[in-house]
Amino acid sequence: MSSEEQKLLVSMIEQFAKTELENAAQKIEKEGISTDLRKRLAELGLLAATIPQSEGGSGIDRKSFSLILMTLAKYSASAAYFTYLQNTLVNELLFKSQNKKEEIAKIASGEATATLVHDLNLNFQHEIFVKGSDLYGSNNFVTLPDADIHLVLARSEGSSYLIHAKPASTGIRKPLGFRGLSFGNVNYKAEIGSDKIIFKDAENILQNHFFETGDQIAAIALGMSESAIEKAIEYSKERKAFESYLYEFQPISAALIDMKGRIEELKKALMLTESVQEKITLKLNSLETARLASRIALQIHGGYGYLEDLGVERYYRDSMHLTMLASNYVKEMKALSKDVIAPDAFKI
Amino acid sequence: MSFELPQEVEETRKRARDFALREFTKDLIDRYDETEEYPNEIRKKVFDSGFITIENPWNMLVAMEEFCRVDPGIGLSTLASVFGSEILLLYGTDEQKEKYLYPTLKGEKISAVAVTEPGAGSDVAGISSRLEKTDKGWILNGHKMFITNGTVADHYYLLARSAPPPSKEKRHHGLTLAIVERRWKGVNPVKLKGKLGMRATDTAEITFENVEVPNENIVGEEGKGFYIIMTFFNISRVYVAAQSVGTAQGILDLLLEYLSSKPSSFREMEYVQFALAEMSALIEAARNITYKAATKVFSFNPDPALTSMAKYYAAEIANQVANVAFKIVGMEASGTKLEKLYRDAKITEIWEGTSEIEKLVISRMILKRIQEAK
Ligand SMILES: Cc1cc2nc3c(=O)[nH]c(=O)nc-3n(C[C@H](O)[C@H](O)[C@H](O)COP(=O)(O)OP(=O)(O)OC[C@H]3O[C@@H](n4cnc5c(N)ncnc54)[C@H](O)[C@@H]3O)c2cc1C
Repeated sequence: MSSEEQKLLVSMIEQFAKTELENAAQKIEKEGISTDLRKRLAELGLLAATIPQSEGGSGIDRKSFSLILMTLAKYSASAAYFTYLQNTLVNELLFKSQNKKEEIAKIASGEATATLVHDLNLNFQHEIFVKGSDLYGSNNFVTLPDADIHLVLARSEGSSYLIHAKPASTGIRKPLGFRGLSFGNVNYKAEIGSDKIIFKDAENILQNHFFETGDQIAAIALGMSESAIEKAIEYSKERKAFESYLYEFQPISAALIDMKGRIEELKKALMLTESVQEKITLKLNSLETARLASRIALQIHGGYGYLEDLGVERYYRDSMHLTMLASNYVKEMKALSKDVIAPDAFKI
Repeated sequence: MSFELPQEVEETRKRARDFALREFTKDLIDRYDETEEYPNEIRKKVFDSGFITIENPWNMLVAMEEFCRVDPGIGLSTLASVFGSEILLLYGTDEQKEKYLYPTLKGEKISAVAVTEPGAGSDVAGISSRLEKTDKGWILNGHKMFITNGTVADHYYLLARSAPPPSKEKRHHGLTLAIVERRWKGVNPVKLKGKLGMRATDTAEITFENVEVPNENIVGEEGKGFYIIMTFFNISRVYVAAQSVGTAQGILDLLLEYLSSKPSSFREMEYVQFALAEMSALIEAARNITYKAATKVFSFNPDPALTSMAKYYAAEIANQVANVAFKIVGMEASGTKLEKLYRDAKITEIWEGTSEIEKLVISRMILKRIQEAK
């Protein structure tokens, strides 16, 4: 995609987000992503954004997709993560398997929702196994456990598989963040045919996929950060204390400017990252920035920041939730240091 | 110099810990967090168990710490049912004490402190609620915001302007403190829901429309309400510091519990060990500064700079510790008490003076001392 086309696409998404997401953001948090919104995301081609057009996707390049995620996250982090989950964590993996065109089409059109059930960002493995033709076990930390299509990471002696499965039962609970998306546990107990196996050696493939798409998580984190800080800047121009606007106080302006600068630098880096190492680093820095930005924004809003009405406290929850969903510090530090320092760095 | 608390206080601490572990069950913690109801049944038990006492304020302080260690929402809600009592203790008349203070300290009434307004929080002197003198007493008109216990309190210790400020520099003059009963005509509290954390605490927005306040409900000298409130904050901020220390300790407890439930290889990683060591050191430092500030306050020799240092530092540490613990536990913290304490901790940087306001108090006091030394 040329840079002109890229700009055009992003401005179209910006327009959509402003008109359809901005005012609905609080509603999305309370009631979830509606079927209508899902269909709109599908119409815009976002749910299979990076899948080639020949395979039923939109053929958007990865950099443009990162910009799109950042734009969506500015208005609704839940909508952004939903898009990332459908496109990157499900459709891109289905696409790798080459024979799942039907599912890709369903997800791309918004007809079906999908989730990826894995444990790669947990400290300890979940217990989902394949034995013979049986799939069984559970995972307590699943985004969209009630999705129509489940791709499940399951282990078997010496290997791991990504399996297309139906859950035996699911449970939903209120998550810390991204409350526009259901969250909870899933339980599997089913016989599976070989046609349900999407690919083997899934653990490695998935882990690499997470590392390689770390810039997309960074994009979501940066969109959230930007939005939180913009809200705080706006508020600092409306709110007075001691007969002065908040922005007039040096520590407040300094914190805002510092964050703004940091976000802009990271946004530039987002457009330049190429290597997996860069993407991991960018993700870690962007997540940290999102947590810090949300804390600053909440604090600047004082008591109002602590209540959900102004929509500021949600950045505080969402930024930590995103960190938990998409990052595993030990794995990331190991991946970063193994090439730069030594293969067994960050071990003890 | 001794860093030990008297045995009586240590015994209260132990009792408070046992009480909280026994009474603040997971079901109750989740229920109040979900429904945002006021935990009145536990408040009564807290009274019956003798944790609310002003005879030795150290007992309340360690109870605050231990309660918040288990659940800051229920812990603070129950102990703060006597919120503002020190105001009457120090400035109230015998009649005011008889009518409002003693029943509150017996658990028969609940009190609240109403200072913040929609347009003024940090800037206490910027409030615009008005007390106007009449033949019979006073008429109150105004609007208060974020008032803890607002819909459950029997009476509020309320700050309002009773005279215009004499000059721009003396905006804090002309403020008066009054006791206002919730059930009086013209008082309209509305519960605020949807807080990030501390959801077991009752928070309200209250409007006052032509409320008649009798003369005998004015506390202290007319026009000197600002000083009374600042004196009170110098006391109450020590309790918020204790709330932060308790919350931080609770987070460390949960992290240790998590680590001990997992294979030892996880806790043997040095990045985890260093984090644990840092958290423990920070919490210990926060506790010590809190106790030092409390020592001054409770011996009627308050040091506002030290009190503000304790409030600011302990709040900072509670939030820092929450962040680090979350990073270590990761997604497994989801839906657990750790997640709740992370949400609860944030309030400590906001109420009873934001961290920024504490820093201003600290530096003003330090600069003043330098000037005085000259
Ligand atoms: C759950 C809850 C319970 C509460 N309970 C009570 C209660 O019982 N009684 C009561 O009276 N109030 C209560 N409050 C109000 C609380 O004390 C105020 O929210 C707090 O004092 C901050 O005031 P504000 O919200 O108006 O923020 P503002 O004063 O508008 O401040 C906004 C931001 O600007 C910063 N700021 C202000 N001035 C300066 C400056 N000069 N320099 C640098 N930064 C500055 C602040 O630190 C803050 O970050 C409660 C609040 C909450 C959220």
